[in-house]
Amino acid sequence: MTPLRFMWSLSSVGDKLRRSRSLTDMSGLPNLDEHVEFCRRAETSGIDSLLMAFGFTRPDPITYSATLGAHTDTIRFLVAVRSGIVSPTYFVQQVNTLSAVTDGRVCINIVAGRAPDELRYYGDFLPHDERYERTDEFWTICHALWRGEGPVDFAGRHYRVEDARINTPFVSAERTRPEIFIGGSSDQAHALAMRHADCLLTLPDTPQRMAPKIRPVLANGTSVGLLVTLICEPTHAAAVEAAHALVDSAGEKARTTHGALRGRSDSVGYTSVYDLAARDSDWPTPYLWTGAVPYLGPPGIALVGSPDEIVDALAEYREVGVTRFLFMGHPDFEQMTFFGEEVLPRVRARESVESSGRV
Amino acid sequence: MTVSPRRMRFHWSLPASGVADRRRGARFRHEIDQFADLDQQRDFCVRADELGLDSILLPIGFQRADPTVLATVFGLATNRLNLMPASRAAVISPTHFVQQVNTVSALTNGRIEINVVSGQGSDELRYYGDFSTHDERYERTDEFWTVCHALWRRDFPVDFEGRFIHVEGARINQSFVSPDRHRPYVYIGGSSEAALRLAIKHADCLLRVVEPPEQLRPKIQPALDAGIEVGIISSLIVAPTHDDALLAGHALAENAGERGRAAVAEWREKTTESVGFTEIYQLAEDRSSWLTPYLWTGLVPYMGPMSISLIGSPDEIVESIFSYRRIGVTQFMFQARPDLPTLEFFGAAILPKIRQREAAELAVDLIGEGR
Repeated sequence: MTPLRFMWSLSSVGDKLRRSRSLTDMSGLPNLDEHVEFCRRAETSGIDSLLMAFGFTRPDPITYSATLGAHTDTIRFLVAVRSGIVSPTYFVQQVNTLSAVTDGRVCINIVAGRAPDELRYYGDFLPHDERYERTDEFWTICHALWRGEGPVDFAGRHYRVEDARINTPFVSAERTRPEIFIGGSSDQAHALAMRHADCLLTLPDTPQRMAPKIRPVLANGTSVGLLVTLICEPTHAAAVEAAHALVDSAGEKARTTHGALRGRSDSVGYTSVYDLAARDSDWPTPYLWTGAVPYLGPPGIALVGSPDEIVDALAEYREVGVTRFLFMGHPDFEQMTFFGEEVLPRVRARESVESSGRV
Repeated sequence: MTVSPRRMRFHWSLPASGVADRRRGARFRHEIDQFADLDQQRDFCVRADELGLDSILLPIGFQRADPTVLATVFGLATNRLNLMPASRAAVISPTHFVQQVNTVSALTNGRIEINVVSGQGSDELRYYGDFSTHDERYERTDEFWTVCHALWRRDFPVDFEGRFIHVEGARINQSFVSPDRHRPYVYIGGSSEAALRLAIKHADCLLRVVEPPEQLRPKIQPALDAGIEVGIISSLIVAPTHDDALLAGHALAENAGERGRAAVAEWREKTTESVGFTEIYQLAEDRSSWLTPYLWTGLVPYMGPMSISLIGSPDEIVESIFSYRRIGVTQFMFQARPDLPTLEFFGAAILPKIRQREAAELAVDLIGEGR
């Protein structure tokens, strides 16, 4: 049994209420010292990668990863990328250069983009389904370049390259290309993940409802990861209290902001989490909580509980085949530290008991 | 003749084939691995910083590492030096490009400048999905920079619909961070009419490959009249004496040999659309290899158009630099074979002399104005 792997999102680090702000209010300026400290803590907390998100409110994830890479040793950077804003050849060249300056500590998170108005900022005017088609073409070219089987010719509907090659390879002790994650919940996202990715990253539902949806992906040999907020405290009661405090601190302004954002999204995953959150109970399972979704958006869907409860929750997802977790916390630094100290050792202990049990 | 009171700036173009490479330009492009030399290149930037160079150019091309990522890590390793990644309009969204540049500016306190290139060879541009013609490329570059400048002015939301580039409602939150600028200093390189027009419209400085001053003067006058600076790109061959410099130059050609000629012939075939390159090849073929007593084309057949060289002793190089300054050139982009020892020599033995003379001339100028 392969051990579970854990990632964390750097998206909101240094900006506690980030998800509750209106987008144009945010400064893009990273607080570098704070982020470096966060990366260092991730390294000692058993986190293997940090998500570097993409969007007009943020620093560029590639150059920013190069910077954080220069200040860290082992943590990897999960760089979000959209097709449609860069030539695939140039993208591979940038990623390869990033790998060279970080000793291969780069992996890729393919995102389709979820708000069409923001995509147009970047010159991308395609509707949802065509974006997937373009992403498919983009990754066909990228993979061909990484395989390094000579000049690449490709003529698709969205991309055309002729005789493409680049001299600079992906630099890593273990890989000839970065590990690739694809975020998304639509059928197209699943198909794309099976064709091009190593892992499908998806928002949570209950394990029972997720199982049939991810089965084809797993059967294809692609792993599955959950993108979820973690609210873990020493006791169940403290965790629930922290969850409610989170909603209180976000407040009504956040509710308005996310109401507006919802209308602009054409993401299947987002829509289904909003739908889940609109049901009667905020607790689809004893540990899965949707109460923060109206305030923090779909990534606010949370695993809530004591360390032992979280370990159980992770095990339930693991039973249906989920092996990766990408967490967000509020605040991230404290949650990640607590996770590293209290949850991860229990996960590993349980894993070693289970694997020795199977021998 | 008026002497520009502007302080001259000196830049160096980072080689992909290694800072100790004596055959820069004489290699087949597909054989170059820039990653093999990355640590030395970082050290080169550190030395350039210590020696008082203004910027390091990070060129773009399939045989190279990505210049923007390199600008980030080399920027982190230096203190005062600017990093100058080259940019091609067809490979990235202008919004994403500005976002990358602004991120680097925030991490280096504004030590990033941009060198706009439109690409030299169609073959290579197709690797990147760019199938446009020479003239279309300039049109695309014009559109690209129109959007970039609007984003840097923060004229949000930015709407633009051109033939090649279309953005709607564009904005990015990360601004350009610098003590004194709201956008990076922009160079545009090129020798065609289209490049000149583009530079006047969008850039702070036109970069041209070196020619004899009297030939260059009429070509750069429109740029100077429009109020932008002019820089020249040149290889540098320097030694303590004139004779030693000549010996060094000939030794370089000999070392590059027939393999160098073959690599240049292949490269020439692929870059026939470049007006500047074509001119240099012709200069190298039509006349004696001495265009002026210090401008030598002897390496061009072996190492390509960028190896047209200012050659001589320190005093001769200083003299030649001031001969360009007299026609209005204020920036100099060097490369050499090999780069690192030449950078060291330039920084130690030539740059101080230039600064000394520059200060003296400036003082004379000021006294003149005082009268």
